[in-house]
Amino acid sequence: MSINETGSVIPDRLKNIRPHWRGRIYAIIGLSIAVIVVAVIATTIGSVKIPVLTTLRILLSQLPFIDFSPDWAGSTETILLDIRLPRIVLAGLIGAALSVAGATYQGLFRNPLADPYLIGAAQGAALGAVIGFLLPIEFSVMGFGLIPILAFSGAIVSVTVVYILARVGKTVPVTTLILAGVALGALWGAIYSYLVIISGDKIHPIIFWIMGSFSMTDWSEVGIVLPYIAAGIIVILLYSRSLNVMQLDEEQAKQLGINVERTKLILLVASTLITAAAVSFVGTIGFVGIIIPHAVRLLWGPDHRFLLPLSVLFGAIFLILADLIARTVMTPTEIPIGIITAICGVPFFLYLLRRRKGIIYF
Amino acid sequence: MKNRLLWVVVFVIVLVLSIGVFSACGSSGAEKEEVSTITITDMAGRVITLDKIPEKIVSLAPSNTEILFALGLGDKIVGVSEFCDYPAAAKEKPKVAGFADANVEKILAAEPDVIFISSTMHVDEVLPALEKYGMTVVVIDPRNLDQVLDSYTIIGSVTGTSEKAARIVDSMSARMKAVTDKTNELTADQKPRVFYVMWHEPLMTVGGDTRIHELIEKAGGTNLFADTIGYPTIDLETLVEANPEVIIAGTGMGEGADAPFTFARNEARLESSEARKNDRIYEINTDLVGRPTERMIDGLEQMARMIHPELFD
Repeated sequence: MSINETGSVIPDRLKNIRPHWRGRIYAIIGLSIAVIVVAVIATTIGSVKIPVLTTLRILLSQLPFIDFSPDWAGSTETILLDIRLPRIVLAGLIGAALSVAGATYQGLFRNPLADPYLIGAAQGAALGAVIGFLLPIEFSVMGFGLIPILAFSGAIVSVTVVYILARVGKTVPVTTLILAGVALGALWGAIYSYLVIISGDKIHPIIFWIMGSFSMTDWSEVGIVLPYIAAGIIVILLYSRSLNVMQLDEEQAKQLGINVERTKLILLVASTLITAAAVSFVGTIGFVGIIIPHAVRLLWGPDHRFLLPLSVLFGAIFLILADLIARTVMTPTEIPIGIITAICGVPFFLYLLRRRKGIIYF
Repeated sequence: MKNRLLWVVVFVIVLVLSIGVFSACGSSGAEKEEVSTITITDMAGRVITLDKIPEKIVSLAPSNTEILFALGLGDKIVGVSEFCDYPAAAKEKPKVAGFADANVEKILAAEPDVIFISSTMHVDEVLPALEKYGMTVVVIDPRNLDQVLDSYTIIGSVTGTSEKAARIVDSMSARMKAVTDKTNELTADQKPRVFYVMWHEPLMTVGGDTRIHELIEKAGGTNLFADTIGYPTIDLETLVEANPEVIIAGTGMGEGADAPFTFARNEARLESSEARKNDRIYEINTDLVGRPTERMIDGLEQMARMIHPELFD
């Protein structure tokens, strides 16, 4: 099927929504189990060698009613429970967030090139973060440090400005939204590039932030980010049926009883919020938001009722694995995760693309 | 026609040869006066000749600016980089370069007799541009403490202040020796495991090929990440496992610049380390350890007191 949204495609598309539910439900169950398995496997691997059995016993001893007499060093427990586990959980959360936000944007804009950063969220966040790096002050609000606050606000402010600029009367046409987003994104990009150049010895941390990294993640970050991402994902999942209908012409969606402008606004707010929360602590990780939804589409079809939850799970698995590589491949040094998502994600995606012989559900 | 062309060619060849002979004569004649000709080899292995003691000097690195002021040449400096902030008088000088870039136009306009450059970026990008315009450029790029001493000697000979440079070098060597005489006698297990915090997010430290690594080792410590190179971003779990006995955080001036120190003192996951248990978390001004100048010896002495208070207090 093509990107073309003409009447002749609709029956085909509707046909696609009905059958084969069983396979997709199995996929959801299978991927849910896989997330947990991958997370546990990722916990057993790291630059410090800890026997697999010790790892499993330490993990199990955290569950209620299970007690082992600890025969491991206190530092081993710190490494597993306070260093590896929080970063694995956060990687999963952010993989889920960016993938589902990407899938939402692609559905909303009916554009296969859309990703969570399309309308200025990443550039706004990066500009905020770079300002945070250069400001010689230090403070925090509700657990957010200066850089996360500025990154979070940068993303929100940027998308809000784009939304306001893109308004035409009472509607917000998708095309003006994208164009305003790309234009403002370029402007923010120019400003932060200049700031990076004059940043002197801060240049390394800044580049690490922009490429994305889970280095130094702790539980407090997970706690702060979790509510935004969980709430955003739930809202988006509730609107998956509306997103299906909106794949038709906006006019036709209206005739089918969808309040197009309101749905658009709610989905934009939800996906922008989770994108902003996702990038605030770990930086603007690329490729996840565009590649995972497409991979899910190639494997399980375009029905948003399955595409969205499958993207959540698939994104989580993908980013946990990417972070595992980022922290172990050059041990004891770390590399930014954005490099891994591109190097490993792109070939995988191209493989899927070739295997489907160019049949893209969009 | 052909004949005439031949004559022209012969004439030109004779002319060129005679100019060559005359100019050779001329230069040999002038050699008697060239008592003040200065020839040195800089730290990039380039041989540089100056025909007089430079009157106008441009410095593109904070360390070179510091050395020039120490040699009493402050008045001769006609251009510095944006990062040259020590001594205070350096801030008043015209700014002609940034971190990696340089304003070649401004440098040419200042008509310097010699330009001292140092960072690798300046060497790669700016050096060819300056040489194209016939500027005399000296590369000062010390990789270790001995080469820091050399940089005083080289800058001293270029600027005709060799005696003063020698006095500074002597005092630096004596102070260094006072530290290493004590630390050289330590056995391997008397040297505590030291972690140097370059930056905390991401966690960055110093590898075995850096000058800060050399300071740690000379001050009688063992750099935990001596096996790495440059300024690596390292895994927190590796650090926790390595259990540092002393943590030294590099901090700067001003609010927010002590963030690495705050991190070292408060990071919950380092609580189990020897350094935290024994309250051996220190901060050191990055200008002292980062800049290859006399102040590096201050840095060495401070580090020695942090790592071996029993020897140096």
